[in-house]
Amino acid sequence: MEKRSSYSSLIAVALIALSLLNSPAAAARKAGFRFINRGEVNTLDPNRMSWMQDIRIGYALWEGLYALDPDTLDPVPGAAVKIDVSEDKTVYTFHLRPEGKWSNGDTVTSADFVFAWRRMLEEPGDYTYLFYYIKGAQDYEKAFTSNPAMADFKTVGIEAPDATTLVVRLSHPVTFLADLCAFPPFFPLNEKSMQPFKQTDKTGRVSYGGEFIRPPNLITNGPFKLVSWTLKVGQRLEANPFYWDAKNVKVKSIEAVSVDDNLLAYQKYDQGEVDWLAEPTGEIAAEMKKAGRKDIHVFPSFGTYFYSINCQPKLPGDRVNPMADARVRQALAMSIDKQPIVDNVTRLEEPITSQYIPASSFPKYKAPPGLPKDFAKAQELLAAAGYPGGKGFPKLTLLFNTEGDHKPIAEYIRKQWADHLGINVELEGVEIKQFSQRLHNKDYDIARASWYGDYNDVSTFTDKFKSDSLNNDAGWINPKYDELLKQADVETDVQKRLDILAEAEAILLKEAPLIPLYHYVNKYAFRDNVQGIPLNPRNMVVFKKITAGRGN
Amino acid sequence: MLRFLTFRLLQFPLILAIIYLATFLLAWVAPGSPFEKERKLPAQTKAYLEEKFHATSATAFLAYYPAKVLTTGDFGPSLNYPEFTVNDILRKSLPVSVTLGLVAVAIALVGGVLIGTLAAVKRDGPLDWLSLSVALIGVSVPSFVAAAMLLTAFSFNLKWFPLGGWPSGAEQSLASADTPERSTAYASGKPQLQDALDHPDKYFEFTPTRDRIGTVTGFEISERDGVKIDELIAATGFDWNQLFDHPNTYFRLRTEWWLSAWKYFQSICMPAIALSLLPMAYITRLTRVSMIDVLASDYVRTARAKGLSRPAVVFRHCLRNALLPVLSFLGPAAATTLTGSFVVEKVFNIPGMGDYFVRSVLNRDQTLILGTVMIYSFFLLSLNLFVDVMYSVIDPRIQLTQGKA
Repeated sequence: MEKRSSYSSLIAVALIALSLLNSPAAAARKAGFRFINRGEVNTLDPNRMSWMQDIRIGYALWEGLYALDPDTLDPVPGAAVKIDVSEDKTVYTFHLRPEGKWSNGDTVTSADFVFAWRRMLEEPGDYTYLFYYIKGAQDYEKAFTSNPAMADFKTVGIEAPDATTLVVRLSHPVTFLADLCAFPPFFPLNEKSMQPFKQTDKTGRVSYGGEFIRPPNLITNGPFKLVSWTLKVGQRLEANPFYWDAKNVKVKSIEAVSVDDNLLAYQKYDQGEVDWLAEPTGEIAAEMKKAGRKDIHVFPSFGTYFYSINCQPKLPGDRVNPMADARVRQALAMSIDKQPIVDNVTRLEEPITSQYIPASSFPKYKAPPGLPKDFAKAQELLAAAGYPGGKGFPKLTLLFNTEGDHKPIAEYIRKQWADHLGINVELEGVEIKQFSQRLHNKDYDIARASWYGDYNDVSTFTDKFKSDSLNNDAGWINPKYDELLKQADVETDVQKRLDILAEAEAILLKEAPLIPLYHYVNKYAFRDNVQGIPLNPRNMVVFKKITAGRGN
Repeated sequence: MLRFLTFRLLQFPLILAIIYLATFLLAWVAPGSPFEKERKLPAQTKAYLEEKFHATSATAFLAYYPAKVLTTGDFGPSLNYPEFTVNDILRKSLPVSVTLGLVAVAIALVGGVLIGTLAAVKRDGPLDWLSLSVALIGVSVPSFVAAAMLLTAFSFNLKWFPLGGWPSGAEQSLASADTPERSTAYASGKPQLQDALDHPDKYFEFTPTRDRIGTVTGFEISERDGVKIDELIAATGFDWNQLFDHPNTYFRLRTEWWLSAWKYFQSICMPAIALSLLPMAYITRLTRVSMIDVLASDYVRTARAKGLSRPAVVFRHCLRNALLPVLSFLGPAAATTLTGSFVVEKVFNIPGMGDYFVRSVLNRDQTLILGTVMIYSFFLLSLNLFVDVMYSVIDPRIQLTQGKA
């Protein structure tokens, strides 16, 4: 026994000694701003970014043609200085900033955008569908996937007549293109720096090895450049000296610390190891609020928590679907008292809602009222549908994923329906991947759901319920709704368009393929010494404006 | 012995192949895709990603990855972290888990055997009660509770230990660098500046930057509390910002090995204890029970009768026999501990393999699942073999080749 344990310690000592051999490679000033991101960054490839934590780092590293003003969320010039828009809003001509530079000193040209956008179609990723607004883009992606040799990029409405001009032709008028350009999938890429990692397969299709993203290979055009990245440790960013607005970048370096455990993340923030704790859990935020802490900031978000109702004629297992009848859906929606959910479960004063679109994010949007809470009316509707007092109502299952607060909320709602409608639903909790798959396959009766907007336009919400939408998990089909969305697609007057979309939402809410419960809130923890972290619904952070008051 | 070893070693590849296949099949039939997140991917995008990562079908996966593992030892790219390969991840995380695990196993073994033995010798005494408490706590307190309690008490409140993280490799202090820039600044004859260059620790705070395994990648430097750079610039007429902006040309790091050892000890202490509680509980109980058996046997009485002292009998004659059941427990326990614990690594923010083990399953990251499972299996097989060999070392009467046709 003695022998064994001394072997163990010998190996431990050897490992320690091994790490002592490493000598320092470079020196830098202590990071001027440190923060704990929401979780592990999964990827920093603009093609694949979709998680909030990935996108957040993306904003620091890149700059799209346009950026968003963190306070008003209006598009402001980024890599471009101005846009000319054709009368019918289908041709956008971007004029690039001539002094725009990559982190290796090269000039940012329109060819860099063409390259990145083309790659988005040839090496498609999570947000490739946002490019479908561009003329010929979807067809090109399809053609290229089946045979790269036959696909002709000239058919796509992306052109660079000269180094500072980018012309984009759209298949229908789009009023929010500048806003889209601020989003990571539309970021430019430096082709030269990616060349060493180029792989061509047998069919002639090109892809780039992930190493091009890892430091020191990654070349970006934003205020910061990526200096180091280790999984479960985090990223270190340093000011990009070639950035066109470098003189207005407040801190010289940023450290994003990866901490997976929520309690530890809070403790590290509390002891001052980091300046900003982005998105503490609801539980921690609620406790901080309860303790009267001034450094917890809770503000509206760009998302809605709701229940999705399967509207197809048959439920999985070939059962008859009582909820194919809109009256049943309305009854379900009107028989829930929502306030206790935010008072007792989520505890962050989330605004309860009967609407789908978070209207506070769209000042000009006249949100239609949703279905009110009305137990008597709900019972009437249910009776009219043939289930008076819930009699004869088939047993339905409420599906949710077991992470977070979904379970207590589901339990509460089951009770509400049992009390007010006399119907019983069964609860089924599954793990997130299984949950997503079942939701997407419409393999559920009623399910917990949520939606966050991607860009600053109402259509980022309304599109979800289009009958041919990939994300129409409810299987709800309404020709009038589709027709209104089509009208909105070609409407070039901003206010008129919003009114059409409001009319569409009114149909959606009345038909109730979803039961809105509350709008999400964002949670940030930071102290007074930190300036420049904006509290906007979209979590949009402009890193160049942040300081932690430490002078570097 | 040799025959036995050869036979067992020949079994290895076969068992590993079966484990690979079984793991793959389980991972493959699990619902959900590594590429789909909360929203659905367009069909052509999903098809592209599946083709790119050779995941269009089970046969496509099996036609590509196993051959790659066999020929190059490359488990392929992680499906969830496209910028990293499975080998990158394992190379970084395995040494961390193994180091932590070895310390934890050592604590469990030394502590468990000691307490168990003493409990058996002083049966029904206070020590026996202590051993029972240790075992009860170890078995009944889940490690995430124990880990969080240790962290909150000793790191957050008492501040004796760092708030999680992995030992930070080489510990250094700041010293003057022998460079022309430094000599020029020094020669300018400003007493305060000379003092800063001679005793940088008085003016600057520095933090080595490194990846979490402890490889130092550089250092960060900032002014100490109370040091006013603007005033110093005015007083000395030298731009002190130079010292910050190009610290390498003025300072270097001096490695302090004793400080490193201390830091290592500090960071490893809490997680190792948290990790050792459960195996320690088992070892304590196993040692106690078998020790009581052995103490009652005839040869012990003979040894005592011929005049040997009690400690000599216990430690020289009994322990060897009493440890056999502990040994058979130790094999699988060590394999689990060495390949990392999801809970302890998560709570203490330690970049080990246990976390990936669980996370890869949640992400349906099939390549990473296979990588971690294969490493884990390899450890389990090797340690079981090691335990079998150790049997015959501890008790020469056990013949390894017997009973095997």
